[in-house]
Amino acid sequence: MSGANAWTRSRERMRLFPELLAQCAVEATAYGKCVTATTVGKQELKKDLCLKEFEALKTCFTTAVRFC
Amino acid sequence: MYTLASKRVFNDGCICQTLRACMAKATGLPEVSSHRNISTRLMKPEQILSESHYRLLRCARHLSGRPGGAMNVFDRAMKRQQKKWAASLQDSDKYDYLRSEIGLRVADRVYDVARTFPLALDVGCGKSYIAEHLSKDIVERFFLTDICSKSLRLQRQSEMPTHCVQADEEFLPFKENTFDLVVSSLSLHWINDLPGALRQIQRVLKPDGVFIGAMVGGETLYELRCSLQLAELEREGGFSPHISPYTAVTDLGNLLGQAGFSMLTVDIDEIQVHYPGMFEVMRDLQGMGESNCAWTRRPIIHRDTLLAAAAIYKEMYGNEDGTVPATFDILHMIGWKPHESQAKPAQRGSANVSFADLSKIGKGPPQQQS
Repeated sequence: MSGANAWTRSRERMRLFPELLAQCAVEATAYGKCVTATTVGKQELKKDLCLKEFEALKTCFTTAVRFC
Repeated sequence: MYTLASKRVFNDGCICQTLRACMAKATGLPEVSSHRNISTRLMKPEQILSESHYRLLRCARHLSGRPGGAMNVFDRAMKRQQKKWAASLQDSDKYDYLRSEIGLRVADRVYDVARTFPLALDVGCGKSYIAEHLSKDIVERFFLTDICSKSLRLQRQSEMPTHCVQADEEFLPFKENTFDLVVSSLSLHWINDLPGALRQIQRVLKPDGVFIGAMVGGETLYELRCSLQLAELEREGGFSPHISPYTAVTDLGNLLGQAGFSMLTVDIDEIQVHYPGMFEVMRDLQGMGESNCAWTRRPIIHRDTLLAAAAIYKEMYGNEDGTVPATFDILHMIGWKPHESQAKPAQRGSANVSFADLSKIGKGPPQQQS
């Protein structure tokens, strides 16, 4: 595919993701710990089980995007 | 086995020119054929295959290991597109590290077989990572086949003369008993009908020919698979497969045996590559041309799911230095086409030493027993 299209644009945006995620290391670790706790504990992983941690991660991420 | 090639012939009669030419050479029959109508659709006369070509394709269909024919997991047309895209990248050399390493290991195994092979075939070669490590006194002539012509054009330098053929691995356009050596590196995991493909490889080998292959299998990319699965479960409430199903190492022995190979050797190499994060893993897989092409794949992954999966990947599998590992389990296999000169198992009752003598090794001169 040559030229600029939706795929090239989204691929460009995705290239920034790793750096932005690095800025939110704390929230990412918290979310990760919440999900991995279900793999060892008795609790089954259900939809939105770690919603709070994910919302925190998402707000940190969108703030990083705005200020990058 | 309802391969791409057979589908094209039966449905609309078009078939890749290269493939048709090769098939004509393979069966030794003229290319332009009789006017037998194979399908009920209207076809141009030059696209109709001859009776024997039709029989060849029909035979190929019944070579499938599965009762009732097709096992259709992967979209081969999409895979060809992905390989073409990967080959057309400016920096496609950056993603070659895994393939060159495995190519080197397969070439190593070819060297271990102390023979000269006049004619060899590389199935699914991509840019050809094996031929460059082999010398002219091991392999005299090399045939390279791949589903994507673009990567064949970018083929790497090698010592011996090579011929490139664009062909699907599931339908090799070669005559029986042609090749002394068939190699395959990291392309068998995209084949729909693996038993059929292995049987075809066995067919094109000469008796006492050898097949040396490496394919991705076992627990490859289990970290990526688990992270995506957990993220999708938590974010969306369900999950869909993002990583292809792989052959287990235990099944490989059976597959090779069923295909008619003897004196099998199967071993497994685990390669762990460290990446900065999940996005780099996915980008490298895309650059290698290894994107998902299963029919059941979802066309999109949500941003939230990707973000969640990256966080989970780091937390569950991350190393101390901040990198994340990605595991590639490479299954190496060697199989020989049966021949009278090969060693057979000994007859029952022909043993002339006892296992009990094992304990006497290294204990000084053996006692004379009556």
